[in-house]
Amino acid sequence: MIEAKNLGKVYTVKKKINFFRSEKEKVNAVKGLNLTIGEGEIVGLLGLNGAGKTTTIKMLSTLLNPSAGKITIDGLDAVKDAIKVKSMVNMIAGGERMLYWRLTGAQNLRYFGKLYGLSGGVLEDQIQNLLEEVGLTEASNTPVELYSKGMKQRLHIARGLINNPKYLFLDEPTLGLDAPVAKQLREMVKSLAKNQGKGILLTSHYLKEVEELCDRVYIIEKGSLILHDTPENITASVVKNYHVKIESSALSTSQQNRIKQSLTGCSIEFSEQGDSSEMQIIAPFDPTALIISVCIKESVAIQKLELKRPRLEDAILTLAKEKLA
Amino acid sequence: MKLLSILVAETIKSHQHNFHNKLIYFSLLIWPALLFVTSYYSFKPFNLSDSSPLSAYMDVDQITMFLLTGYLGYIFFWSLVQSAWGMSYERQAGTLELIFLTPVSRIVVMFSRAAGNLLEAVWLFTGFTLFVLVVTGNAGDIHWWNVPLGLGLLSVSAIVWGGFLNIVFLFSRDAGILFTIFEEPMQFFSGVRIPVLAFPLWGKMIALIFPLTYVLEIFRDLVLNGKGLVELAEQFIVLFGVLAFLAIVSAFLLKKAETHAKETGNMVLF
Ligand SMILES: Nc1ncnc2c1ncn2[C@@H]1O[C@H](COP(=O)(O)OP(=O)(O)OP(=O)(O)O)[C@@H](O)[C@H]1O
Ligand SMILES: [Mg+2]
Repeated sequence: MIEAKNLGKVYTVKKKINFFRSEKEKVNAVKGLNLTIGEGEIVGLLGLNGAGKTTTIKMLSTLLNPSAGKITIDGLDAVKDAIKVKSMVNMIAGGERMLYWRLTGAQNLRYFGKLYGLSGGVLEDQIQNLLEEVGLTEASNTPVELYSKGMKQRLHIARGLINNPKYLFLDEPTLGLDAPVAKQLREMVKSLAKNQGKGILLTSHYLKEVEELCDRVYIIEKGSLILHDTPENITASVVKNYHVKIESSALSTSQQNRIKQSLTGCSIEFSEQGDSSEMQIIAPFDPTALIISVCIKESVAIQKLELKRPRLEDAILTLAKEKLA
Repeated sequence: MKLLSILVAETIKSHQHNFHNKLIYFSLLIWPALLFVTSYYSFKPFNLSDSSPLSAYMDVDQITMFLLTGYLGYIFFWSLVQSAWGMSYERQAGTLELIFLTPVSRIVVMFSRAAGNLLEAVWLFTGFTLFVLVVTGNAGDIHWWNVPLGLGLLSVSAIVWGGFLNIVFLFSRDAGILFTIFEEPMQFFSGVRIPVLAFPLWGKMIALIFPLTYVLEIFRDLVLNGKGLVELAEQFIVLFGVLAFLAIVSAFLLKKAETHAKETGNMVLF
């Protein structure tokens, strides 16, 4: 179990005023964050650009010391016992960096494996297994500079697993990957948690991914926690409106008025398109049953009905709007 | 065991990085050989008999040997300046951060990196030196039984120097300035071409800054003058003092670099 209590990080940045003088400025990247990651659990960390996600991940992986608060990882202190903690955790970030381009995939893994104190047959087995798991066995002796983006990302994953970490931190692991590769990666992450019992923290800008993978989600803004719940609960509590779109036969003005009257409390917009018409309904409850009965009463032929279930994405957008208002 | 494993890992990594194309042989052999040849022929036109001013400080008949040993030592040290330059590459590539993500002993990585780079960087020029000795008929002037000790000393000193530089490069965004300091001035002031004794006082003071100065002096005394350990005891003590100082400063700077990085998220101090 990873437990972060009242976690804070203040960066001090030097700002140049002129050649001789510079001014120190403090950036509160993370403030009073409480967070837990259990074994076998996938936890999401969401927030807009600059919210403090990467900073949090770097503190959890002992690359940064917190300015406030405490992180314990299975009882070990992330600052005092940093070296011990390092063999229990690993971090994977997306992108083209963080690999030796002139080394082959296998050589990259071998190098990092040795830094984790592995050697001999144990290391070689681990390398072969990981390469197979991420589907790079055939490319294992190809220099990384010849890898595609997706291959590099898969090698990142293999590198992040080389020390068989108990906890894994993923900073936007699917950034820039195309759909099938990203899907494959999601399957793998799921299996790491569910079958191997690893605790995983994930940041991502793809909310569908977070919705699919995460058991719990933390939403932070400007370094502070604003919401913590399951993706379903967040969506249900934040997005109160249902969206229904209906395409039907053409409606007369009087029909439109009667429909409006029977759907009190909802907002309806009509638009005419030749001999058909479109209704957009936003309601604080699920209005499908009601609208269908009204249409039957008015003898309106429904050609298409679309109910948009609220998604995590809508929740985030709503939250962002509320902040702006 | 662990140490050996890291050493091998660093050696393979540097080999893979540096021997990417054939140009490497230019910097391993042709360039140092050219340095030697140009120095040799710049001395030629001058009076190199016993009446020359240089003869007060060295055996002028030994000028070929003197320059060869000088450049051999210089290549040992200079190659590690170049290898340390790779640290700034590792920082930009983000692999440095990954090294610090692991529980490996940082000091072991820094010095293994130097050791791993050294062997590859110097074997060609060492071979060239032997070749010149034989071809010019100077092999008889060498005190061969002292050569292993001399080369061992040169290697150990170079590795301590290289580890120190690796750590210094953790701090600097611009490697350029260090190149400027170490290329020509180190060649001149360490006594690669002209004996330090021949310098004016201010020059001797500068010479003391470069660890290569101390090593070269002992190396030449061992290999060219055949002096024994007893005769050189004092020089050895000074050299080990200098190396111990470098090692202690290295350990201190490395701690400071990681602490700073954990504070600011950045290896660069400036
Ligand atoms: N090394 C640093 N020094 C100073 N300020 C920093 C440093 N790293 C990040 N910051 C600042 O801290 C804040 C949080 O940054 P962080 O990288 O954690 O955000 P993020 O949530 O990961 O954003 P993104 O989604 O863009 O990756 C930002 O205001 C950023 O400018
Ligand atoms: Mg980030």
